[in-house]
Amino acid sequence: MKHTEIKDAAEALFNEQRSPFGAFSLGSETHHAVTIPDAVRRCRWISVDINASAFGLFFVSPSPERARLVPCFDSDYPSVAVASKFISGANGEEIVRHSRISTEPRWWTDDGVAAMADMFGNLAWTGQMAPLTPGSSGIAFPVHADRGQCGLVVFLGSEITLPQDALYEIHARCFSLFAAVARMRPGDVGRMRSISKRELECLKLTANGNTSEEIARLLKLSVHTANQYLTQSTQKLNAVNRNQAVAKALRLGLIE
Amino acid sequence: MRFRVRRLALQQPDISIDSGQKQQMSSPAAPLQSDTLGSRLTSRGDLTSFFMELTAEIGADSYMLVAIVHDQDRNDARIVSSNWIFDAIELIGKRLIAGLAQGPLTAAPGIRPTPLVAAQAPDADGLVSGEEARLLDVLGHAEIYSLRLNVGRQRLFALFSAAAAGRIDQPALMKAQLKCCYALSHIPQLIAAAAMQDPLSDRERECLFWVSEGKTTDEVAVILGVSSNTVNSYITHAIQKFAASNRAMAIATAIRSGII
Repeated sequence: MKHTEIKDAAEALFNEQRSPFGAFSLGSETHHAVTIPDAVRRCRWISVDINASAFGLFFVSPSPERARLVPCFDSDYPSVAVASKFISGANGEEIVRHSRISTEPRWWTDDGVAAMADMFGNLAWTGQMAPLTPGSSGIAFPVHADRGQCGLVVFLGSEITLPQDALYEIHARCFSLFAAVARMRPGDVGRMRSISKRELECLKLTANGNTSEEIARLLKLSVHTANQYLTQSTQKLNAVNRNQAVAKALRLGLIE
Repeated sequence: MRFRVRRLALQQPDISIDSGQKQQMSSPAAPLQSDTLGSRLTSRGDLTSFFMELTAEIGADSYMLVAIVHDQDRNDARIVSSNWIFDAIELIGKRLIAGLAQGPLTAAPGIRPTPLVAAQAPDADGLVSGEEARLLDVLGHAEIYSLRLNVGRQRLFALFSAAAAGRIDQPALMKAQLKCCYALSHIPQLIAAAAMQDPLSDRERECLFWVSEGKTTDEVAVILGVSSNTVNSYITHAIQKFAASNRAMAIATAIRSGII
């Protein structure tokens, strides 16, 4: 990896869009559509800034039972790094539990480089955990997106430099990166544009606990029509029943 | 327009709006007071002193930590901690506070925040009326920033305000936002209790999750390896805890508050 080249390109961009926060404009960058390669590039810049040698972005699966990390991309994109396999396996359990209740970064050292333990040990707000990948050091940032998606951005390396002041900025950039990735993840949004206003209204009322009869009365429809709207929206959302349709519509932000 | 005021959930706010005049600890090398206070946070009292310190550090005068509770079609603000004068909260009303916290100006971590400037209101978004804006201005909230805080799966909102527009230091504010997330992570039980966002047991949450994935009672029973009656009773309990009228509403409530 030609780090100098990447660093130069990143610096050029930083200087172009420098914000008072000291990073490139965090507010504006989320507005343009991002693709996964875009996100990988942005993650690489963050990684270069803290002198990490590898990185990865994971989703914490929403299932409460099988809590696990689902790899989204890592520094070996488009293939998957060995480290990611460790992290999405049993090693990730502790950090998944942690990220459910806390937003504090967690670090680990297992590579025998004493300087790393010193550096991380002096960071306020962070804590130590069991190694995510054996024989490495690294830091994991829990991140959350608008619609409740939960994730983890991980950086690995034996020469990570992360001053206290930069910690907030790096974590903030991880947040905005994850927000961008989470926004593009529901791949089937495109197929859902045909869902009508009336159907969404019915779904919203269902989410508020109304029965078909009540919806029919509220919207001045026949019960049959209300049911038909609900059936149609369920099909369009690719759901098997009303409950799942309501859940999907909420998670996709179609209804509030 | 009438709105309900929940006195119960309200912590008696500290009557000290002069905190902004506190001496700023601006030396970059020395750890800031808020770092020391925040990383040792264990009680509600610590929470207040942490927020007071942070408010002073970013050049603001007031703070308010708010949890949003979904109630049918409306959102209700539950104030966890604040140094607003009690009367100001009464006058402005929870409805406006909930609107501010959930409005388009609210910034997620990593997004540059835009303030609500009372002098420029009423704004295009219709967030506050002219009268409400004047009231905010008179009460010392000429400029208000609304920030989203993520504490694990829980979501809270912080409002930082100053008596004069432009006094709050934006870069410091963005760092403060992360510090708030970290600090609140130290007291998850307290936050959950204050926000009452997750009243469910693990098993109830699991059942509700599978129902939201479109599984029937029988299917959930197979997945979890328990009887259908047990699954039904878990779900009934979840519905009761949310005061919901049916499964769909319980699922909606749980998703809205980020539980499943």
